[in-house]
Amino acid sequence: MAVDRLEFLLQDAFPDAAELRVEDRTGGGDHFQVTVASPRFDGLPLLEQHRLVNDALSEPLRDGTIHELRIKTKGTT
Amino acid sequence: MTEVSVRIKDTIENEPVVLFMKGTPQFVMCGNSDRALRALREAGAPVTAVDVLPDPSIRQELTELSGWPTIPQLFVKGELVGGADITQELAETGELRKILEDKLGAGYADGAEERVVDVLSGTRA
Repeated sequence: MAVDRLEFLLQDAFPDAAELRVEDRTGGGDHFQVTVASPRFDGLPLLEQHRLVNDALSEPLRDGTIHELRIKTKGTT
Repeated sequence: MTEVSVRIKDTIENEPVVLFMKGTPQFVMCGNSDRALRALREAGAPVTAVDVLPDPSIRQELTELSGWPTIPQLFVKGELVGGADITQELAETGELRKILEDKLGAGYADGAEERVVDVLSGTRA
């Protein structure tokens, strides 16, 4: 399942996440909504926060697993 | 650098607000591109759109330049602002207008028009 793979990659990148969710938006296994709350985002501009998520998911983004990605990031402070 | 990559770079550097999207403002081909475009329209931004769909090289060269993997991508005054989620979030908090004002001046929305640049041929409409 693509959702599991994405969750695994995100957990690996954000082991201290207070919240970590991957939703298959369409049920087709290629449109995802990702929500991550992590202290790593504290004080970072939105662009850099999303960059960290993109970096964590670079492989499924490159190999076509992810056709569409929506990202919601939150700091913990 | 390839011709396409030079044109992408020129467009980013010379157009105040550039949205790389799937489709054109007249015919949007993707929900995320639509969300970003709507947010920019609501903020009154003078949008220059680049359709990435006509050739896969456009997206490849763009991602190479920006380091951003997904479409759409918004640039203001040559600087990457983000994708659809960031653009929408900034619009909701009112920050998008602030960024546009800071970078383009308070009158940025006066006479704002939408344009389309074709980075394959270099034509501008």
